[in-house]
Amino acid sequence: MDSITLVADLDALAKISAFITEAAELSGLDERATWQVQLAVDEAATNVIQHAYDLDEPGELMLAWEYAESRFTVILRDNGRQFDPEAVPTPDISSPLEERQVGGLGIYLITRLMDEVRFDFHPQHGNVLTMVKYTTLDPREDLVILPIHGRVDAITAPQLTAAVHEQITTGARFVLLDLADVTFLSSSGLRALLLIRKELMTLGGELRLAELQTQVHEVFVLTGFTQVFAIHNTVEEARGAFGQGRA
Amino acid sequence: MDVTHRRFNRVDLLEVTGRVDAATAAKLKQHVDALFDEGRYRIVFDLVGLEYISSPGLRVLIEARKRAREWKITDLEGGDIRIANLPPKIKEVFDLTGFTGLFEIFSDTVEAVGSF
Repeated sequence: MDSITLVADLDALAKISAFITEAAELSGLDERATWQVQLAVDEAATNVIQHAYDLDEPGELMLAWEYAESRFTVILRDNGRQFDPEAVPTPDISSPLEERQVGGLGIYLITRLMDEVRFDFHPQHGNVLTMVKYTTLDPREDLVILPIHGRVDAITAPQLTAAVHEQITTGARFVLLDLADVTFLSSSGLRALLLIRKELMTLGGELRLAELQTQVHEVFVLTGFTQVFAIHNTVEEARGAFGQGRA
Repeated sequence: MDVTHRRFNRVDLLEVTGRVDAATAAKLKQHVDALFDEGRYRIVFDLVGLEYISSPGLRVLIEARKRAREWKITDLEGGDIRIANLPPKIKEVFDLTGFTGLFEIFSDTVEAVGSF
């Protein structure tokens, strides 16, 4: 675990932000997740600075992070007064301006921005706030994996198109065709794939192909369509590539 | 954080750039309070250059709007805080905290200033 210890005053916030931003980037968090972690940690540190210690007598704040098994974990520790998360009411974010409370948003934001949040108090270690951000892709509801079997030719291509359309009507936009069991692909099959790809792109989605058999891959090579389609060795690789560009 | 102030006849425009966090929110509040002290209650925040906002900054915005709206010329006309040019990340914070529904948000400053 990499860590820093700082005097818990407002000047620490800029250092904390720089420290945790670098950590998140090192751990491979994307730009949005990095920003979410940055905001959550900033809110947590602000609470320590403003509430754990008296402003004119700041104590120490320790910040540590580690990245393992797709979990980016941040630990924030202080020796100030015990924090009881139960004592902080959840703000009603739908209340109109007149009734809206002006404070109480910090803890709320932390719980919304991070995937796991835990407040502990130890007699020796003081307040320990553990926050985790997952880096695995969220299961997308608009992602579908379709295993295709047998021959894709003039006769069967319409079935493939129909199967994809059925998924599109139920909300799928990111379609992964697992071609492991496809033994033959004709020009009609290629044409169907091109139209599916175009349609998904129009809808803001993506088509990806995975696990092509050698003779099927050869069709893409001979026609130059390896440059057009996003072709992946494995389903896992393809799944991870959605939303990452070049589809 | 930096604040640039432009004065119009009826409205004051505050362009807020950089980071508004616990360390800088007090400075933003000073700018707003200075306008209130002059009796200027119609303010547009131009957030086009705002890179970051955390809850102390949100608090300044909501307190300002509450106070501005207490000032009334008639039942229909009075003070307000309006917002122009909300960058995507700041919009996300607004959405998470319900602020999108608490403010009138405009896509440019001309529209926001003209709305008064």
